[in-house]
Amino acid sequence: MRQDQSIRTDQLDVGAAAPAPDGQSAIGKTPWQLFWRRFKKDKFALAGGILIIVLIFIAIFAPLIAKFVGHGPNELFDNATNEFGLPVGPSSRFWFGADRSGRDVFVRTIYGARTSLAVAFLATGIATLIGVTLGLLAGYVAGSVDTVISRLIDVVLSLPLLLFALGISAACSVAKNGCLHGLVQPGLRLVVFIIALFTWPYLARIVRGQVLSLREREFIEASHSMGAGEWRIMFADILPNLAAPIIVYTTLIIPSNILFEAALSFLGVGIPQTTPSWGRMLSDASNSQMFTYAWWMMLFPGIFLLLTTLAFNLLGDGLRDALDPRSRR
Amino acid sequence: MDGHPSRSPSNVDQLKGEEMRVSRKGSALFVFGVASLLIATACSSNNGGSSSTPTPGAVTKGGTYRSATSSFGFVGDFDPVGEYTAVGFAYYQMLLRTLLNYTGEAGAAGLVPHPDLATDLGTVSSDGLTYTYHLKDNIKFGPPINREITSSDIKYAFERIDSSSLVAQYAFYYDGVIKGMAPHNGPPKNISGIDTPDSKTIVFHLTTPTSDFPARLSMAATAPVPQEVAKCFTKPAGGYGNDIVSSGPYMIQGADQMDPSSCSTIKPMSGYDPTSKLILVRNPNWVQSTDDLRKAYVDGLNMSIDSNVDDIFNKISSGSLDGSFYEIPPPTVLQKYSTDSSLKPYEHIDPQNTTYYISMNLLVPPFDDIHVRKAVNWIIDKAGIQKAWGGPATGTIAGHVMPPSMAGLGADYNPYGTPNNAGDLSKAEAEMKQSKYDPGHTGKCTDSVCNGVILLNRNEPPWTDAEAGIVADLAKIGINVKARELESGAAYQTIDTVKSGAGVGISMNPRWGADYGDPNTFAQPLFSSQSLIPVGTSNYAMVGMTKEKAQKFGVTYPSGGVPSADAQINACLPKTGQERQTCFQGVDKYLMEDVVPWVPMFWANQVTITSPTVTNWAFDQFTGFIALQNVAVSNNASP
Repeated sequence: MRQDQSIRTDQLDVGAAAPAPDGQSAIGKTPWQLFWRRFKKDKFALAGGILIIVLIFIAIFAPLIAKFVGHGPNELFDNATNEFGLPVGPSSRFWFGADRSGRDVFVRTIYGARTSLAVAFLATGIATLIGVTLGLLAGYVAGSVDTVISRLIDVVLSLPLLLFALGISAACSVAKNGCLHGLVQPGLRLVVFIIALFTWPYLARIVRGQVLSLREREFIEASHSMGAGEWRIMFADILPNLAAPIIVYTTLIIPSNILFEAALSFLGVGIPQTTPSWGRMLSDASNSQMFTYAWWMMLFPGIFLLLTTLAFNLLGDGLRDALDPRSRR
Repeated sequence: MDGHPSRSPSNVDQLKGEEMRVSRKGSALFVFGVASLLIATACSSNNGGSSSTPTPGAVTKGGTYRSATSSFGFVGDFDPVGEYTAVGFAYYQMLLRTLLNYTGEAGAAGLVPHPDLATDLGTVSSDGLTYTYHLKDNIKFGPPINREITSSDIKYAFERIDSSSLVAQYAFYYDGVIKGMAPHNGPPKNISGIDTPDSKTIVFHLTTPTSDFPARLSMAATAPVPQEVAKCFTKPAGGYGNDIVSSGPYMIQGADQMDPSSCSTIKPMSGYDPTSKLILVRNPNWVQSTDDLRKAYVDGLNMSIDSNVDDIFNKISSGSLDGSFYEIPPPTVLQKYSTDSSLKPYEHIDPQNTTYYISMNLLVPPFDDIHVRKAVNWIIDKAGIQKAWGGPATGTIAGHVMPPSMAGLGADYNPYGTPNNAGDLSKAEAEMKQSKYDPGHTGKCTDSVCNGVILLNRNEPPWTDAEAGIVADLAKIGINVKARELESGAAYQTIDTVKSGAGVGISMNPRWGADYGDPNTFAQPLFSSQSLIPVGTSNYAMVGMTKEKAQKFGVTYPSGGVPSADAQINACLPKTGQERQTCFQGVDKYLMEDVVPWVPMFWANQVTITSPTVTNWAFDQFTGFIALQNVAVSNNASP
């Protein structure tokens, strides 16, 4: 990881101090205005952001789109498969063709955006919450707390991720009420749990590192000397300074979590077959090499998966460049 | 004799069995009971299993049947005492001989026991309690033992069955039936109910008349075992599977290199590696004239492990493999071979004796209500399920529990028949209206118990392909399920443990294959209260559960009670002949109408794809797979 300097909002003066190139007098700008000025120059990042917004709209309005098409995501069409159970290809009726069960691949792909985004946002959100909190504590409180949290991070990071994920899913998907007294329910919640479990340490490490350097800075000392409490310093003084790395890192985690969800679904873990998911659709397409016959079963969810992760990556890169101009590629 | 049952209407009518993969429970092994034996002996006068060839070409000896399988899937590490899979039995047909065995042909004739090691079908005492068999002369064990097989080698096989550490999986066919047979800890020891008055004679003394006893003498656990080798494998279970000493026409490659002089010198034979290959070569001690049942055309078998099923079929198509074994061809392959007339001769469709079914747990609401169970039977679109499996070639839609070959109850009996087998919403709703879970008589289950019911499934196609249809069908009558997909073995373990099974309302993962042709193999293990054991039951529906037993097992007993089929089944057990068949037809009907533990989905076929190198096709109805002992190839390959 790059040794980024954190951005202290009240010190972020790179744009403001420089003389305007067109000779006009410099105008004071807020950090967010500066960010936006830099960000909007990055056409790829903008495109990524727009694509994500479109995807979010698609996910939100999936039922409306399905209604317009007239096919439900789990509706089975007997005539969408031939006598051998092989699906029909793209047509005016099934825009993206049908799958082995005789369902509309277009509608399922649209609905798949819901699963992917929901899992990605939820899991990333939980991971961010845990990661930031523990990172803050480890970095700021230091001492034995730091040791415990850091070793915990080491332990989680050294677990064989996929094997462990398979194990948890196997253990938690049998009982009706799942694991941990119903906290980990089979299906979507299980997948979110697994992904969050394996994602938070990355964030916690970064936050811890940032906090370690921040807590030695003068403004913290100033806060201390003015009698601010530990919690206030942690959450009011330090946390805002972590906004940039958290935003950047979170945005970059999302695409990897989308792929993680797809991988878990591909392996047939967690998300049931009736919940449309791109990973699961790709897995269905690769079962019995179905894609050699029904290429549409693989192509369309594949394209959506690719576009989504690409969009998040572009956005994440753009955010990093814009929020942290001192970083070097 | 027409070895291609798909072209033989009479066979198709009698046998609507099916493919059996690696089911832990349901080994598709067919034997006919004495009843059918009497009927069917007449039509097996010219046995041998050689059949019409798909391609012109002389049937000659030589060559190797080269095939591949995604995994052996053995459940007893290939030791005959514990191996309880149909695929295992298919290999044993090349390796082992038993007192009685089968001709390795398709259809009813393939289920009739014939003398194999024995000189005849045996003599039964008038009270039905003593069976006497004489062994043929000049039958020797394969290398490195090379000595004559004696009656005590057969007795030793029975002694191994009772040694608990060897984990015999179908010991219930012998324990309590043969006098003195009961499982015990420690190495094999003498059984009082089996006499060997001389080296060529073996006498079985039974505790109770058992009309299907001869059929049980054809199962591989009863094949002769040389004590000098097997005594080295008393525990853990399965070790002898690496060093099986042959009594049949083939032996494991490298058997002759094995040194039986002491236990420490016995190393696994080189031709078998459970993770990669099984190579069988000719047993030099086997004499064709002593064996009426096996043609042994090929010089050997080369079975390799290839986890990519598509790759297997591609290799068959290109000719580098001679044919498939147990894998269900993917739908694309089925379509190719079914629609291309030049390929059609290489697609062999043979009915097996297995029922694929949906099991409902009688302890779990809403399935503790018979009206709900009946409604489920009405609503399920069986044609859709059949499609998920690859269409009609893969099986016949089942209208009741037992495949027609079991008790003779055919397709004409279908108490929940619907137009085009697509399910009938109005009939399902009419049934649901009578349920206590639909107090408003809406035709939908409105009780909260119908939300979040667990549907257990396997995590592999075609099971996953059929899931969406079943989920949608159940939703039509208000049963909203949560589907759980587990690996096949884990799925079985979930429901064969009564306690964890109680978390599952409905399961579509199991299938059941008959062990032999007697209809009781489709009754007692599946529906009697005797088979309700805390772990390892095959009565997944919990038929016959009592309040006391439920308490003991730690599961909730429904207030409405649980029906039992014990009286109906037990009434049939002493019966023989047609009377027995008719009695079990009654059991089947009782199950379908008064107990309703299942939605029978279909009776499947084994579809085998071969390459043109296979010059003689043969199907073994007993194992439900290609009769490796009777196929011929023209590839000149050495094993």
